Amino acid sequence: MGFLSRSVSIMRYGVRGKIEGSFWDVVDDGIMKNAFREIDTSGEEVGLGWVSIDDFTDNQFKGTSYLRGNYVALSIRVDTVKVPPRILEINLKKESKKLLEESGTQRLSSSQRRELKDRLKEKLKSQVFPSIQVFDLIWDTAKSVAYFGSHSIKARERVEYQFKKTFELTLIPLIPYLRAEELLSEKSDRLILEKLKPSSMVP
Amino acid sequence: MDFIDILREKAFLGREFLTWLWFKSDQSGGRVEIPGKKVLEVFFLDRMTLDLSDTESLQTVTLKGGQSELREGLAALKEGKKIEEARISIRATENDFTMVLKGTWFSFGSFRTPPILPADGSDVDDGGEGSFLEKAYLLEEGLENIDALFEYFVKLRISEEWENIELPALRKWIENSLT
Repeated sequence: MGFLSRSVSIMRYGVRGKIEGSFWDVVDDGIMKNAFREIDTSGEEVGLGWVSIDDFTDNQFKGTSYLRGNYVALSIRVDTVKVPPRILEINLKKESKKLLEESGTQRLSSSQRRELKDRLKEKLKSQVFPSIQVFDLIWDTAKSVAYFGSHSIKARERVEYQFKKTFELTLIPLIPYLRAEELLSEKSDRLILEKLKPSSMVP
Repeated sequence: MDFIDILREKAFLGREFLTWLWFKSDQSGGRVEIPGKKVLEVFFLDRMTLDLSDTESLQTVTLKGGQSELREGLAALKEGKKIEEARISIRATENDFTMVLKGTWFSFGSFRTPPILPADGSDVDDGGEGSFLEKAYLLEEGLENIDALFEYFVKLRISEEWENIELPALRKWIENSLT
């Protein structure tokens, strides 16, 4: 499991915003409503949502199993299917030929071709095993900080969106400048920080 | 300033921190004393990436290997490059943490904490919560050490001491290390 592995990747986020109403009720409700489920629409994503950090097949969270002390421990699971390009190409050629024969025309317009390609992708999706990605998210509710187990931009965008959708709270990456702002308690110090320019270190 | 502007315009802060940290560590044989707080042992290990952070053109140098290979980074510093990421180890009391610290995002790759103690009989029924909390505690301890070093740097960086003492000493270190 990611978070308990000896070696982990960590992206540190500040959790910004305020939960309206009873904190733990809102958290629980959000997690259950945004737990992993299959998606039955077009596109490569066929499943998305929160799962147990201990078991990516568990989206039930019996006994509030996401709760560990002050932490909310979750994994975001993303299932995607990608039809191999060559398989798509073979089918596209076959179907194009059939269509041209039926219509008696010489070639398909670009929109017909695009439409056919999209239709074939959806048809072939069911024959491809999904790729399952699971990333851990640990939210320290006492410190309003969250740790995410990937640096990938795509994974980060997904978890930022999912977190906002679930709790109506925003994850802000604690990049050096923002962490520095938090560490400086005096307003006058923060003003100096705001005006800082890079230093040349060349001797 | 919105987030994207901060990310672009203030990225130098993380790179200057890493470059300064190498200077502090190298100068004192790894022993970095945070005034009034604690002493940490900080070592730069086997991997470092430097780039020209404050210009539009991206020129990156990646160094891998032992200490002698890393010394080549000093030549890159002399050209105006700064450290964008480095594998470092930080030891406080008995706990040793290693990580690849990335300057722009302040994120951590291959973050290794001391091992979690094997669960004894009393932990069997807690659903792994004991191991989880221990790991979380260790991760936070590692991050607190980084924050303590970063806070030390930031307070120096906004003080007059930076221009008057620290920056000249850092430049001198680069110069002397190359001769």
